[in-house]
Amino acid sequence: MFEVFLKEIKELLRDRKTLMFIVALPLLIFPVIFAVVGYMMAMANLEAEQEVHKVYIIGAEAAPEFTESVRYHKNFELVTANYANKNDIIQAIQNEELDVGIVIEAKAQPSTREQTTWQVIYNDSARINYLFRYIEELKEQYQSKVQTLSFNALGVTKESEMEFLISPIKLEKVDTADARESWGEKIGVLLPYLLIPIVLTGAVYPAIDLGAGEKERGTLETLLLTPISRTNIVLGKFLTVLSASLATASLSILSMGLWLFVARTFVNVSEFTVALSHITFVELLAMLSLLIPLAAMFSSIVLSISIYARTFKEAQNYMGPLSMLVFIPVMISVMPNMELTYKTAFIPVTNVALAIKELLKGTSEIGILAVIVGSSILLAVGLLAFCVRWFNQEKVLFR
Amino acid sequence: MISVNGLKKKFKLTKDHKKGITEAQQDPREEKDYFHSVRDVHFHCEQGEVLGLLGPNGAGKTTTLRMLSTALKPDEGSIEVGGVDLVKKPLAGRKAIGFLSGSTGLYGRLTAKENVEYFAKLHGMKGAELKQRCDELFTLLDMHSFLDKRADNLSTGMKQKTNIARAVVHRPKVVILDEPTTGLDIMTTQTVINFIKGLKEQGTPVVFSTHHLDEVALLCDRVTVIDQGLTCFDGTLAAFKEQGHSEELNQAFMNILEGHRHV
Repeated sequence: MFEVFLKEIKELLRDRKTLMFIVALPLLIFPVIFAVVGYMMAMANLEAEQEVHKVYIIGAEAAPEFTESVRYHKNFELVTANYANKNDIIQAIQNEELDVGIVIEAKAQPSTREQTTWQVIYNDSARINYLFRYIEELKEQYQSKVQTLSFNALGVTKESEMEFLISPIKLEKVDTADARESWGEKIGVLLPYLLIPIVLTGAVYPAIDLGAGEKERGTLETLLLTPISRTNIVLGKFLTVLSASLATASLSILSMGLWLFVARTFVNVSEFTVALSHITFVELLAMLSLLIPLAAMFSSIVLSISIYARTFKEAQNYMGPLSMLVFIPVMISVMPNMELTYKTAFIPVTNVALAIKELLKGTSEIGILAVIVGSSILLAVGLLAFCVRWFNQEKVLFR
Repeated sequence: MISVNGLKKKFKLTKDHKKGITEAQQDPREEKDYFHSVRDVHFHCEQGEVLGLLGPNGAGKTTTLRMLSTALKPDEGSIEVGGVDLVKKPLAGRKAIGFLSGSTGLYGRLTAKENVEYFAKLHGMKGAELKQRCDELFTLLDMHSFLDKRADNLSTGMKQKTNIARAVVHRPKVVILDEPTTGLDIMTTQTVINFIKGLKEQGTPVVFSTHHLDEVALLCDRVTVIDQGLTCFDGTLAAFKEQGHSEELNQAFMNILEGHRHV
């Protein structure tokens, strides 16, 4: 078995495609993707912040102070035109003569003391823009002035009284979660999305090469004719796929840590890093111990599929849907009210995603973690047994 | 020696295969859900003999050789190599067999030397024994100039030499070759022919399937013809010509097949 394992590892390490998936992908490509996406988003935001929008107001005379605040806002250019109604404005926006139109009801003058609805007409699709936010800010300022004037007219002059009349009860949120729990909740949603598919990705390519690839190259049959049991052959291959999967996952974690460290020098993420610095070595080991049976499960599945396939291409066709399927249990883990309990600890993959979140938050329970590791190991052993049985079937090997 | 008796092997027909069958195309080996690829094959080959396994495409030669090499398990029958029952003790049998086919591949990212050594290790060889045997084969097959080249970068001839070394590194008692010269150029074919002659001189029984009857004339002591999963001839080369009513091997082969199909 170890002779097969050592030879497979040697071959994998000499394969550029495999090294690309196991080493380059997590170490270089992910950070590059994140950096490019981050840069493009930052540029898009900057552009959106600097953009000057053409605005037209119907009913400006009803709220002259608001109209003036729009005129002097750095992101607005008040256009002089003669649009009579809402439809004219929609047409003008479609013709790109205008970016936004505001329709103020005639009765909007403070003296009428009636609530009015103002319409903000703009194209809210596709790109980042802060149009509505800017207008909302100006409306809030104007509204505050109108409220003060109205209260004064009613004889209410004290600010505290005004606040009481506007909102007699104020709710204050006292969060018992510490910084780590709060950050853990946020990252704990994202990390399984990244980590669990990576564990699968790390297993897929070597599995295809070691199963269908061997069939296609005509080397599998010669291997089957050696005095090594088929069980030992498949175990040797399984260990190779598992090692590749774990190596990819470990390098990904390492890469993320490294790039986070680099990012600290450019971006202020102190609160985040302080929060995560509370994660202990034992908890990191616990995360790894959750990923090992998961990687074993994936390795058994992809190796079984690969052994069944006649060619490299056929195996790749089967792996595509599998990559999509793995997201389903991860998505279940982020569903509302989904919590790690002794029941959910038995749902494969979902349990690991939930447990990673609990570990990041620092709220994990050793009992539940043990159940997850135990159930995952049992499932991994079952899947490996299936893989061994599968490999011993002539109808699979000689399709 | 190798002795094969009453060998049978059937495969379950797939839905796609069944759909494609029309009454006119019906093969006598198809029965309900099964295809009886090998129905009754028998032959034997003594020490120092070369046996040519002949038959038209789809006759069951490859399935027979796969059973001989223990890749497939027979449904019925026995295969005995040097006193070892291959059906009952396939692992022990594999030590006694060397197998090579025209489509056998090498591990492309390993060197020629690593390929041969890997299979030697899988056969339990190690240390001085492994080194001595590998050196012996590398010299015999004139492989020293490309030993450290990766198999992916070898020429067809170099690959076939490496494959030969891989197949016999463990000193098998019997060598089985499945169309070993198919698709090879003249030089490489000659290497394979010389290799078979060498085995014969050493007294190792060789069973090889081929469509090239000139190779049969050159190498074989015995001939077995398989048609539709049945042995329709098994005997010496002289008996083959006699039963086929021709000194021309091609004609004799055709006559034997025709005779079998008319029975």
